[in-house]
Amino acid sequence: MFTSLLARLRRRTRAWARRRHGIDTDPLVLSGRRIYIVPTRLGVAFAAMLFAMFLGAMNYANNLALALTFTLGSLGLMAMHYCQRNLAGMKLASAVCEPVFAGQLAKFRIAVENLAPLPRFDIVMANDHSAAAAVRVDANARVVTEITLPAARRGRLALESFEITTRHPFGLFRAWAYLHMDLHCIVYPRPSERAMPPPPLETDTGGAQDAVKGDEDFAGLRAFNPGDPPSRIAWKAYARGQGLLVKVYAGTAVSSHQFDWDALEGLGVEARLSQLCRWIEDAFAAGRAFGLRIPGTDIPPNVGPAHRQRCLTALALFDEAGP
Amino acid sequence: MSAAQSVARATSPIKRVAPIKQDRPQLSRASLQLLWTTGCFLLAVLPHLSSVRWWIGLLAACAAAWRLFVEIEQRPLPHRLLRSAIAMIAVAATLTTYRTLNGLEAGAAFLVLMGGMKLLESSTVRDLTVVLFVSYFLLFAGFLYNLGLLSLPYMLVAAWLLTATLMLIHQASPMSIAEALRKTGKMLLQALPIAVLMFLFFPRLPGQFWALPAQEKALTGLSDTMSPGDVSELSVSGKLAFRVKFDDNVLPPPRERYWRGPVLHDFDGRTWRRTRYGFVERPLVATGPTYRYRVVIEPHNRNWVFSLDAVTGWPKDLRRTSDYQLVTGNRAISRLSSFTLESSTSFRTAGPLPTVMERADLRLPEGRNPKSVALAKSLRAGVGGNAEFVQAVLSRFRNEKFYYTLEPPRLDTDSVDDFLFNTRRGFCEHYASAFVVLARAAGIPARVVTGYQGGEFNPLNDYLIVSQSDAHAWAEVWFDEQGWIRVDPTAAIAPDRIERGRNAGLTEGDFGTGEFLAGNVAWLKVRQGWDAINTFWNDNVVDFGQSQQRSLLQRLGLDDPGLTELGAALLLSFVAFFAAISAWLAWQFRPRARDPIVRVYDALCRQLGKAGIVRQPHEGPNDYLSRVVVQRPELTAQITEIRALYVGLRYGPALLGSQLSTQLSRFKFLVNQLRI
Repeated sequence: MFTSLLARLRRRTRAWARRRHGIDTDPLVLSGRRIYIVPTRLGVAFAAMLFAMFLGAMNYANNLALALTFTLGSLGLMAMHYCQRNLAGMKLASAVCEPVFAGQLAKFRIAVENLAPLPRFDIVMANDHSAAAAVRVDANARVVTEITLPAARRGRLALESFEITTRHPFGLFRAWAYLHMDLHCIVYPRPSERAMPPPPLETDTGGAQDAVKGDEDFAGLRAFNPGDPPSRIAWKAYARGQGLLVKVYAGTAVSSHQFDWDALEGLGVEARLSQLCRWIEDAFAAGRAFGLRIPGTDIPPNVGPAHRQRCLTALALFDEAGP
Repeated sequence: MSAAQSVARATSPIKRVAPIKQDRPQLSRASLQLLWTTGCFLLAVLPHLSSVRWWIGLLAACAAAWRLFVEIEQRPLPHRLLRSAIAMIAVAATLTTYRTLNGLEAGAAFLVLMGGMKLLESSTVRDLTVVLFVSYFLLFAGFLYNLGLLSLPYMLVAAWLLTATLMLIHQASPMSIAEALRKTGKMLLQALPIAVLMFLFFPRLPGQFWALPAQEKALTGLSDTMSPGDVSELSVSGKLAFRVKFDDNVLPPPRERYWRGPVLHDFDGRTWRRTRYGFVERPLVATGPTYRYRVVIEPHNRNWVFSLDAVTGWPKDLRRTSDYQLVTGNRAISRLSSFTLESSTSFRTAGPLPTVMERADLRLPEGRNPKSVALAKSLRAGVGGNAEFVQAVLSRFRNEKFYYTLEPPRLDTDSVDDFLFNTRRGFCEHYASAFVVLARAAGIPARVVTGYQGGEFNPLNDYLIVSQSDAHAWAEVWFDEQGWIRVDPTAAIAPDRIERGRNAGLTEGDFGTGEFLAGNVAWLKVRQGWDAINTFWNDNVVDFGQSQQRSLLQRLGLDDPGLTELGAALLLSFVAFFAAISAWLAWQFRPRARDPIVRVYDALCRQLGKAGIVRQPHEGPNDYLSRVVVQRPELTAQITEIRALYVGLRYGPALLGSQLSTQLSRFKFLVNQLRI
């Protein structure tokens, strides 16, 4: 009952903070104005202990006990300032968010940078779903933290809001800031469980086609792109000092799948996307070339991770306003 | 976090093997936290060891040792049932010992035990926090006993270590002990000014609003009974009894410095006791000059206020008994207390002696000390009056072989007979006791007065220091014409004791160690200096109260400020102080590159930005500074050199030490010289 009330209050304040601050820039330097601070349960207990000490010291007119009480009280207030300052001036920037399949956990990576010449302790990034491990950010250093959010459906998953929190130095206070950066993660459709047989390979027996690469004849070298299979790297060229190059083949007998929306007559939209996703994954795993044709998008056959990503993204964002 | 660690520890089957290399064994984070918390707890228990029962301290130490053993050997914690059993036995033992938990000593003992028990079961951060909170409270409670000069630094250091440990156990991210100590120390130093301010200006209340029953614990000092050997035993103690400061530094001569304590009437042949009878007070008339003085009494857990004999003026909350002893209401003096009094050393008591009093002060135990009674009767028969009788007894003490000694032999049941006719060696209580018995046997009402005599004057702060070794006993006799007259038989046997101080009258060989050292002038100086510091501490810190606060405010030009003004001033200084702290922290945390090259470049960019040439985020030094040259051609020479230096320093090959420093200083110089 109490916790649910607390959760509701928390949602309310977050919504209020959102209205107050709007969408944040990326990167963002935390200003002191947007850092909130409240005593923790431990802080309340500490205050209660100090109050008991205060009563005792006043009762016995014991000046030294009173001095101890005042010193600890003053230290507590000092801790409040240190707690807030532990966050203020922190620089936050989002890092790349790797796409995931629906049903997996989306991982949002956020870099925390300390511009100050003093270390900051116990920095925790959190959202409703998860909290990253507390990190220490040394002077002028940068640490990348990761918070997760379950990706239920395909499409663009937004990290509506997250918090940066600290309880440094004594755990007596909790300072935090609500952040509303425009962060998204691409969520691919969930690959279908029941694998329908993929459409047969279409073999083009004509001459070498520029657009479609086969794997029979060596056609030349091109620059290395991240994700190219190591077996295609031209190590001899690398040894000659020409840099990382990749061998490109073109074949007279190029065979590729054509994954077509229209081939899946009778299924619903999501089911079709799931099926297409499964085919793409299988074909990619087998190293075969494939093309994708869905309403509004036609991707010619190709191979490689970049191609896969392009196709899956097309599936993820299909009819974005729709589902 | 620590819960997870402790789980990991519990499930890990690997036992620590003796390290092959004798390196310092690496303690895990959790072990380190436990170690520090245990250390802090013991530090907080330490001041209580002298006041709680010995086994309580021992139990806490055992609990700490056990917990550390379990941690180092990676054993499981003692079973829950075992822990509960130990806790229950400990509580039961405390309850049976103290019969209550609602008392200072019992409360402290209970806290020590609870802290130890909690430590024994500590595995999470939460548990350790509880132990730390108990330790804070123990530190606080320590002040209810000990207000000495050294207790404040001890407390501050302990509070520092405790708070550093609190920081250490509440860090989820890595932090070294040195960092925690440094940071907490800094925070504590910053917190001190506001604490001092609060201490000085927080309104003090007069009196207690809730009193814990103080444990009636015997402290060194006079008691309300007197048997042979009691006072001489006390005389060995060098402990302070009270300090006195006379107004205008007018002190009575040493032989008049009698400090009155309990008056004893009832005698059973060996021990003197206070009487159960209530007497009607006879007025006391001062016949000489009055002395005004402040007496600062060390806690002795009795309600007696020692005053210069005889007291004529006292504050409202005190009472003078019919024996002319000054007492507080019912409250025992359990902490340092000071009173401003007036006394006159020459006085006369008026009016006839009440019958009840006369009867009480003539009573002798039936059939005891028969030889003394016979002696008194024969002496009285041989002289004309009571005054002559007193003189006869005193001259007997003086002229016959009587000795004044700190180590009198043990006396028989008929102590006075044994003393007068057999041992003849005694301290003040022997002489006072014998004298009163003789006087009563001769039909003169007489009583024993205990208290202190003399005192050591400290020229450094003009205080008279009266210690337990100044404890004394003398007699008072009633003469119908004059009232109560003080007779000090010790003055007859050892006049120097009264004239010059406690050590003067002693027979050779009776010097205690403290007394021996007292002869040393250098040591005397040190002692007086230390006492002066302590007195200052007592007057200005321990005893800082409403009146001191008022005079401080008056010195600051605030005559009689009300609570509202005081509160407002306090609040205002609070706000100002914390605003300053906040600003200082912001300054400390301001973004600064660690690399001096970058720092100087940043300064240059700021300077140029102020002049209107703002560096765009995408601009590197080459692009930016080229643009500057285009916009401000007059700076071409400097900017070009600065650019070359910066690019070389920052992106060029690494330079050797001397080269680096020359280039860097040239770079700094150029940037500083630049006037835009």
